[in-house]
Amino acid sequence: MGAEGIPAKISSERRRLWRTFLRNRAAVVGLVLAILVTILSVAAPLFTSHDPLAQDARSRLQPPDQTHLLGRDTFGRDLFARVLFAGRISLLVGVCSVLLGGVIGSTLGLVAGYTGGKIENVIMRFVDTMMAFPSLLLGLLVLAVLGPGLFKMILAIGLMLSPAFARVMHGSALSLKKREFVEGARSVGAGPARIVALHILPNVMGEVVVLGSLWTASAIRIEANLSFIGLGVSPPTPTWGNMIRDGTPHLLNAPFLSVFPGLAILVAVLAFNLLGDGLRDVLDPHLREY
Amino acid sequence: MRNVLALGMALAVVCMVVAPDFGHAAGILRIAQNASDVGSLDPHFATTTQDRSLVDMVFNGLVRYKPGDGSVFEPDLATSLPTPRVVDGKQVWTFSLRKGVMCHPTTGVPSYPLTSEDVVYSLQKSADKNRSAYAADYTGMTVEAPDAQTVKITLDKPLSPILFFAKVANYSGGFIVCKKAAEKLGPDGMKTRPVGTGPFMFKSYSPQERVQLVANPAYFRGKPQLDGVDFRYMPDISSRELALRNGQLDVINGVPDKAWVDKMKGVSGVKVDVFGVGEVAILHLQTTAPPLDKLEVRKAIAHALDRDEFVALFGPGIGENVYSPVPVKFLAGGLTREELAAKGLDYKMDRERAKKLLADAGFPNGFSLEMVTSEMTGYRVLYESMQAQLAKVGIKANVKVVDHSSFHSMIRKDANPLVIYIAWRPNADIYFTQFLHSDSIVVTGKKPNTNFSHYNKIDGLIEQARNETDQAKQVALWKEAQIKALEDMVVYPISYQNQVYARSNAVDYGHELISVLALYPGITEKTRLTK
Amino acid sequence: MLKYVAQRLILSIPVFLGVATIVFLVVRVIPGDPAVASLGDYASKEAVDALRQRMGLNESLPVQYVRFLGSLVQGDLGKSMITGSSIRDEIMHALPYTLELTVLAIIIGTLLGIPVGVYTAIRRNRMADYIGRILSLTGLSVPAFYLGILLILLLAIQFRWLPAVGGGGMDDLKENVSHLILPALTLGLVMTASVARLSRSAMLNVLRQDYVRTARAKGLKERVVHLRHALRSALIPIVSVTGIWAVSLIGDSVTVEVVFARPGLGKMMVGAIMQRDYTALQSIMVVYTGFVVVINLMIDLIYGWVDPRIRH
Repeated sequence: MGAEGIPAKISSERRRLWRTFLRNRAAVVGLVLAILVTILSVAAPLFTSHDPLAQDARSRLQPPDQTHLLGRDTFGRDLFARVLFAGRISLLVGVCSVLLGGVIGSTLGLVAGYTGGKIENVIMRFVDTMMAFPSLLLGLLVLAVLGPGLFKMILAIGLMLSPAFARVMHGSALSLKKREFVEGARSVGAGPARIVALHILPNVMGEVVVLGSLWTASAIRIEANLSFIGLGVSPPTPTWGNMIRDGTPHLLNAPFLSVFPGLAILVAVLAFNLLGDGLRDVLDPHLREY
Repeated sequence: MRNVLALGMALAVVCMVVAPDFGHAAGILRIAQNASDVGSLDPHFATTTQDRSLVDMVFNGLVRYKPGDGSVFEPDLATSLPTPRVVDGKQVWTFSLRKGVMCHPTTGVPSYPLTSEDVVYSLQKSADKNRSAYAADYTGMTVEAPDAQTVKITLDKPLSPILFFAKVANYSGGFIVCKKAAEKLGPDGMKTRPVGTGPFMFKSYSPQERVQLVANPAYFRGKPQLDGVDFRYMPDISSRELALRNGQLDVINGVPDKAWVDKMKGVSGVKVDVFGVGEVAILHLQTTAPPLDKLEVRKAIAHALDRDEFVALFGPGIGENVYSPVPVKFLAGGLTREELAAKGLDYKMDRERAKKLLADAGFPNGFSLEMVTSEMTGYRVLYESMQAQLAKVGIKANVKVVDHSSFHSMIRKDANPLVIYIAWRPNADIYFTQFLHSDSIVVTGKKPNTNFSHYNKIDGLIEQARNETDQAKQVALWKEAQIKALEDMVVYPISYQNQVYARSNAVDYGHELISVLALYPGITEKTRLTK
Repeated sequence: MLKYVAQRLILSIPVFLGVATIVFLVVRVIPGDPAVASLGDYASKEAVDALRQRMGLNESLPVQYVRFLGSLVQGDLGKSMITGSSIRDEIMHALPYTLELTVLAIIIGTLLGIPVGVYTAIRRNRMADYIGRILSLTGLSVPAFYLGILLILLLAIQFRWLPAVGGGGMDDLKENVSHLILPALTLGLVMTASVARLSRSAMLNVLRQDYVRTARAKGLKERVVHLRHALRSALIPIVSVTGIWAVSLIGDSVTVEVVFARPGLGKMMVGAIMQRDYTALQSIMVVYTGFVVVINLMIDLIYGWVDPRIRH
């Protein structure tokens, strides 16, 4: 295969994938939404002039009006600004915990799948036990032990997500290691690390990306659950989950306090779910749903 | 066609099932508290609001706070309020017990008449640190029973009536438990099965759900108008509120928030009561934690804070500013704003002055502090507001939210240089003893309690006031002690918060609501449902 | 079959032990002190020390551990450190509420989800499919407690159809059911979304298979082909993942119990964490593990029954 031929082949392959993606309307919507959510959160100061932390107790609980698009919270802080800035935390937690869980879980799964034998047994038993457990309870315990904090939240959710990654990667490693090119590489004398890195990893990339997007959606939801129970990030930092929590006592007279952050969660999670679905249809239509 | 019929039948079933149930057994008052479960129904361990209100209905004391007005003492199990005598240099208080007061029956122990034996047993239990959380308040007291209807209490050091009656009132350690029942049930049994002499008797307990009380027909003040009380645990305000509006509850613990009170006032069939006693929020400044060891820094913090901003969080009427640690509105010994302003100790908000004080102390750019707050709304709101206010003078407060129990643990280990603590104590002496006497200094004190500021400069004044039997002189000493504490700015009193309860129109408590120490409206034998 | 069940049960004992030990250790690492939690405002050092002594907290860790294991073996789940009442009683009290909620939610989820999923698979890429997919994605994306809040706002506040309050007690059927509907609906709808998606993709997978084409070649009516052959094969993954979702439902049920102020294991657990009630926490976690083991076992059994290829 000539070196010149490859780039042309790859780019036309890429264009084909892109076109397939674009044809899937839902996926496009997901991508657009995800980009929108990311821009609004990351560039939040561009979209609002209010300080999300500035309190004004005398004007608390004002309903939405012209200067304060979504109203004001129990401290008189602008809700719109807080929803935007909360997006930063939720996105950060979502992405980082998936990265963390993904790295930990995939490593465990790939190692287990490729190595086999006793190591595989031990690792997968452990993963099974963790998966059998209601993940939210696990997260609750971890956070109760570690205490509040952004990084601890990421750690907790990352740990909660890693078994799922481990399982999928384990399955993929199992099926891939029997394939010819792996046998070929092994017969040539390539070491296991090299094989995993060069041959197996690129082939599971598709799955990883799909899972990554879907699990980001889950992570954002989980963060909302944990903040709602009262664990996680410290005040005065807003997260969508703790905003809903603060709004629950005022459900009857100021429902907007809980409704808007909830909508934000819905949109963000929906976006990443749609995106993940679309990616799956494009990259690996045979990937199992679960 | 068959499908439509099936659907119709299903709908009919659903409608029958779903029709709201407004009925309740006539005469049972349904009250919901803001708590998830019982803490302890042993009255000598009942420290939380929800537990206090429940044991208030089941137990009596030798004397009681007048229902609805906690500033007046009345006889309860005793026939009258005694005046003390001095015997062999010690102060002696002698009580005559009412006749015919019957202890509630319980499994294995039938109802029997209360005598001085029970009173002695109960007060000794209150003084025993293994059987009471209030043991520290009962040292130096000897209780004897010369006969079945007389109780003689001898004090090592004399006390004024305010301070003494508080110890034997229907509150905290003063609740009288029935000896036979207590011995039969043991300490674990008493946690969930209160047996007293009050207007209501314990019937059943469903964990995390409710306690059912039934009327005591043999109550010495007369059979209660209510048939019973259904005491529910509902930590979610929306649920409580909805249930009240739907007629499923008669009384609920509300939200100390003017917005909520105003809204509920507009709901037909519902009334809101806002009454004392107010739980006082005080900021304690730890004098041993740099840079707070400098007086200018502490004064700067005091001037950086705006009491009105704190009160605005709850709304006028719900809370009010407090300028002295002992709340002048409810207790003898407090100081008014005018009195303190005259001495320049009202610490009005003045952020420019605060910044200058900080600069003078060597912190022109401020500094940062680490602290924790409880996740309970009452505390969290105050800490968050303080955080925002201090930021305006350059002090960066890093606040971590922890669960309520960890909060209490950690502040008792000096985790916070600034401690906002919300508490109600029935008299000034207890405030001083627990918060400002050197014995109570956290971690290092002789008997560590809640002296978060590590203050030790008014011990003499506190002890002198404690044993001063002349009321006027006692008050003057208390005032002097507070003035000193404020001059040293070890405590910055913020505000007090009233109790807020909502009820259906049908509920008549049977008394006016001015102040209740048990932090609830007070349900007595006179309380009734008018519908 | 019996041998299989026995085998699995025996295998789960080390899992139990492992979880129990981990919980025992974890719980004691959590900062905070049950004695302080119990005394709250009046936690002077003297009172706290006396209470700690009574709670047995001052004994060494190994002693506490041995005592814990010993009582576990006897089926004694201990006494709550805070209320002193038997945890077994408290769990037995809360359990029916959690069970009825979870069971009804699963029923709603499967009864609604499977037909919707199968239907959208059959009508792939048509309007019904798009609507179905958007709805189920929304259901997957919404946090359960938020849906609960919305339902409360709508059905309990706006139209006073249902109570939003509590558990309703176990004696009165009408009371019980009326308090059950909203929370079960909340959880059920969330589950419907995932079951629908799942059924759809399982069904799609199956529809691609060869033997379906064979069946079609035989000339049977299209509909029968779809339903009989495809559904049965699709059921296998549906069943197995329903089991996993049932377990994660437990997690969602915690927030739903909190929102609806319903008694239940989840609420007990959160309460035990907040109050540092070590004994209660340990026991609840062990009970949960037991659940999870039983559910997994049942799923495996159903799996084996549905798919003849797996049965040994």
